Amino acid sequence: MKDYSGIALTAPISFGYAKQSPKGAAWFIGRTLQLMLARAGLGKDDVDGFAVSSFSLGTDSAITLTQNFEFSPRWIEQLPYGGASGILALRRAARAIQAGDASIVACIGGDGAAHRSFEATAANFSSFTIDASFPYGGGGPNAAFGLITQRYMDEFDARREDFGAIAVAQRYNANHYPPALLGHKTLSLEQYLSARPIAGPLHLFDCVMPCAGGEGFLMMSEDRARALGLPYCTILAAGELHNAHREDDIQLRGGWTEYANQLWAMAGLGPEDVDILQTYDDYPVISMMQMEDLGFCGKGEAPQWLKTTDLRFDGSGPQQHKLAHNTSGGQLSVGQAGAAAGYMSVVETIRQLTGDTEGNQVPGARHAMVSGFGMINYDRGLCSAATILARSDR
Amino acid sequence: MSTSHTMKQRLKHNRPSLRQNARPPKQRTHLGNAFTAANLPVALALQHCSNCATVQYPPRELCRHCLQDTLLWRSTDTGGALVSRLELHNSLWEYFRRRIATAPWPIASVRLDCGVIVLAHLAPATFGAGITTEIPAATRVQVFSHTDCSLNAVLIAVDGQTAIATRAQRRAIADGLGLLEPAHKTGGI
Repeated sequence: MKDYSGIALTAPISFGYAKQSPKGAAWFIGRTLQLMLARAGLGKDDVDGFAVSSFSLGTDSAITLTQNFEFSPRWIEQLPYGGASGILALRRAARAIQAGDASIVACIGGDGAAHRSFEATAANFSSFTIDASFPYGGGGPNAAFGLITQRYMDEFDARREDFGAIAVAQRYNANHYPPALLGHKTLSLEQYLSARPIAGPLHLFDCVMPCAGGEGFLMMSEDRARALGLPYCTILAAGELHNAHREDDIQLRGGWTEYANQLWAMAGLGPEDVDILQTYDDYPVISMMQMEDLGFCGKGEAPQWLKTTDLRFDGSGPQQHKLAHNTSGGQLSVGQAGAAAGYMSVVETIRQLTGDTEGNQVPGARHAMVSGFGMINYDRGLCSAATILARSDR
Repeated sequence: MSTSHTMKQRLKHNRPSLRQNARPPKQRTHLGNAFTAANLPVALALQHCSNCATVQYPPRELCRHCLQDTLLWRSTDTGGALVSRLELHNSLWEYFRRRIATAPWPIASVRLDCGVIVLAHLAPATFGAGITTEIPAATRVQVFSHTDCSLNAVLIAVDGQTAIATRAQRRAIADGLGLLEPAHKTGGI
């Protein structure tokens, strides 16, 4: 595989998080774009590539947005891949820039959260969900992930406390990240354990809160970023695999198992060299699977591994082994802004690696593994993606 | 039409929680409708490929294995093994919310002997189990279909030994789950 050298990620913007909003997706996407351009000191017409993801564009799309925002990209991409969208956008945009098909690409995920819009999305997610999962009562992916979590607990002797360790550490991180919707509240393990039940082993703090928001970043050549005087980070490796392990009874692993080693080799790093791990955390169990499948611990060992690993951004926990995880609080504490959630971890990682944070800086962060997971179609999530990012001056 | 009547219609449409009768989700794709039609005469009918003999679920336009347009709805063996199970304590759908207000709603995923994974309503009483999670994974189960009160076929998982040979037996189980009656709200619209 060709490497990703010479590509810069810059101008990270998280915009407009709100529990509910009457504004449409185009508002969140457009405002995010405007802030990205302002951050980079660029105009609309400097952007010649546009990658976008959203669940709530309705009849609009990447192409209608170009007229909506009155600009003329020569490369566009729409990525309806949920939690893997951001990394897939990053991969495609990097190749477009390397090939000369675009020079500056805006990658944006944005979604509104109108009254009852989550219900509409869940009810009409895909033909499989319409025919074979929504009629059984599970709201969105709760039922599928309840079943997965229950089986994971049975199989690997995991307990609710183990999942709680992830949620509680992420809330601590969110307490230091002002835009997090739940960042003003603390969360103790006792509160986590006594929350009301949602679906089997899943309780309130295992489930993300759907919300509105936008997340975006610019991609360009390193030369261009330097010329513009923009702080940036680079891509050491990236991969994706979809609908992997399709013969498994239930999802206890994802596509990462098939390319994690390739990513580490490409980056010339191992899990021990990583300062930040950002997993897609729509439920704690899938964060555990990413930790396992990406090589931070063995299959089924995440509950044990977490007992000795401090996931806080500042390493202030009692555990010996430190690994900053979901440094902004993840979706569990920030909120899940539809497809923007698939861009959130990339945006937060750019902030971390360029020192552009607001109180949740991981000290001395040089390398980050960012992982994406998306699209619970029927009984399992289909997309897997991961990338290793690095500080530009490492 | 009087103003109050129109208002009532609107409320009924936009505020499901105000409805007198809430029913399970009615919406299906045309393939889901075909699943319902095929399941009316038998305990369980799934798509079988007459080219490569693959069985599939959820219903698809083409055979998932050979991609041929050679699918037939055929009566299928109801046997399978439990993959996972849980009780829903929350739902986005008013019918389930009202059922859950009385008792959590059990569902299961099952690997049928014909190879497919199905999501089904679970009848824990047939296992003699009080709590759903007491039923271990890999327990032998049977999965049959029954028409719910939205007139769609839905799948129901029961213990492997439960008698489900006759229509009356299957109906009694579906009725016991409350699937044959809408969830009522006194004083609803």
